[in-house]
Amino acid sequence: MKNFKSNRLLNIFLYISLLIISVPIVILLLWTFTARWPWPNLLPKTYSFRAIKEVFAPHAKLFQTLFSSMLLSLAVAILSVIIGTMTARALTLYDFVGKELIALLSIAPNLVPGTVFAMGIHIVFIHMALADTVLGVITVHLIYTLPYSVSIMRDLTQSIGGRLEMQAYVLGASPFKSFIYITLPLLVPGIKTSIGMAYIISSGQYFITLLIGGGKVKTFSVLMVPFIAKGDRALGSAYALIFMMSTLLILIITDRVTKKLPYQNDGGKYRWNWN
Amino acid sequence: MELELRNISVTLSNKKILKFINLKVEDGEFISLLGASGCGKSTLLKTIAGLIDQDEGSVVLGGNIIDKTPAHKRRTVIVFQDLRLFPHMTVAENISFPLKMLGIDKNGRRKEAINLLGKVKLKGYEDMHVDKMSGGQIQRVALARALAAKPMVLLLDESFSSLDINLRKDMQELVLELQREYKITTILVTHDQEEALTMSNRIAFMHNGQIEQYDTPENIFKKPINTIVADYFSKGTYVHGKIINNKFISRLFSSNVDRETGKYKCLIRPSAIKINKFKNGEYIVAEKIYQGDSYLLKLNNTDSNLKLESVVPDFTAIIEGDRVNIELDKDKLIFIPEKQACS
Repeated sequence: MKNFKSNRLLNIFLYISLLIISVPIVILLLWTFTARWPWPNLLPKTYSFRAIKEVFAPHAKLFQTLFSSMLLSLAVAILSVIIGTMTARALTLYDFVGKELIALLSIAPNLVPGTVFAMGIHIVFIHMALADTVLGVITVHLIYTLPYSVSIMRDLTQSIGGRLEMQAYVLGASPFKSFIYITLPLLVPGIKTSIGMAYIISSGQYFITLLIGGGKVKTFSVLMVPFIAKGDRALGSAYALIFMMSTLLILIITDRVTKKLPYQNDGGKYRWNWN
Repeated sequence: MELELRNISVTLSNKKILKFINLKVEDGEFISLLGASGCGKSTLLKTIAGLIDQDEGSVVLGGNIIDKTPAHKRRTVIVFQDLRLFPHMTVAENISFPLKMLGIDKNGRRKEAINLLGKVKLKGYEDMHVDKMSGGQIQRVALARALAAKPMVLLLDESFSSLDINLRKDMQELVLELQREYKITTILVTHDQEEALTMSNRIAFMHNGQIEQYDTPENIFKKPINTIVADYFSKGTYVHGKIINNKFISRLFSSNVDRETGKYKCLIRPSAIKINKFKNGEYIVAEKIYQGDSYLLKLNNTDSNLKLESVVPDFTAIIEGDRVNIELDKDKLIFIPEKQACS
């Protein structure tokens, strides 16, 4: 009886969550094809393909911008997860001077207001010749994504600890193989979350990308935000849908790639991986 | 393979954990490192395996100094107390892991994993996931995985301590059976004296980072070198005295002993005292404690404050308050020189 009740409660929460996610998507979809939607109508009065035509028009350079934006954010996400994993490992498994300071610094970008931080870093980047470059934008995005990556990977690394690697080590695995075959497969859930999180944060950066990229580094956000700011809801919705789908695509690719790693749970059934 | 530790000292967090350890384990021998928690047993095991670096001394395996050999190349495999099966692998994948590290092909690995599962009496469990297994089964998988690594020295770090008494006995028998079959030099870390006495060829008794005594189970039990070793196996009453011309003389008794002249402490364990009920006996039964198949009697001397203990069968008619006389089994008395009494 208790199980039945708790299952019912879980189902209610599940449907509420589904509703919270799907309603904005339906609204975006409707707005994309809307010509006029006067108040207080529940549905648009007239529909049109104007937004779709404009988004896919050759002068909009959608695919070029989308591709470079995805590549940039993916680079940020991958770098973020690598640096995050290694930092988390150092902070969890090793003792060294300044450990607490590095732990504090790893979350510092989240403690300083974004605009203040951006202005400061812009001046530094001009001095370092990193302003108006892709490398500069990747670096500044990394500063924003790393606190999340470190935090996610640190929790997971703490829960795994170094015990299993030590066991692998005495069973004949080198430290590198111990990490690859034992710790890495166990870190996969965190890696997926971290990549997803870093990708979303990076691809959603408008102000800092515009400031550091100087308009020369075009990302999808840089392309999309002016339309939203202008109040062209149809065009803004079309861009938002494409943005969302591109993010979803990256998350699916990440999921597929991480399943290729050794000793991964294949749909609940553990399989042999002899290679 | 023969293992030798020469003058090993280890310091961790500015505290000297091991102090000049010397130990030699013959090829195929089973020894136990016995001692209370915190005496350095597990640290010594990790030092042998190469997980902890020693400050001084050398680890010699098969005549070769292996101080600079990293842990993964030493073939000194530890089965840890918490067993540490890899949670993302099946039983067979766990056992195959060290084989994979040895470069054995996938068919060979599968075949060997199934063979080892048979040895630990878990045939048919190869594709089971480890979180579905019981404590005893996990122990067996951990053992099979250690054997798969083809160890030169097998190091068991209190591996049976989490098991209940029956499972522990089963595992002890299985380990001994496999150790004899594979003729692996084995070191068991334990704080359980019974486990050490029944399983080992020799026991190294550790205390405070040092080996107090390294001897056969019989000798370490019957001829402890000092009171620390003696008390660890069985508590008793110490009677001070002297040995002069091969005769121990004390206020309680005198006995012929083949020992050098000097001051000695004689340890009288409960098993060395036989009692007879006697109306005017010298001792009074102060307490009678049930111990399953026997009773422990606490005896107080009526003339002095001497207190002794004796073990009697569970069918004894003696009750608390009875007066008894004692008879000492002189073969079971333990004589410890006063200068070594507590090193």
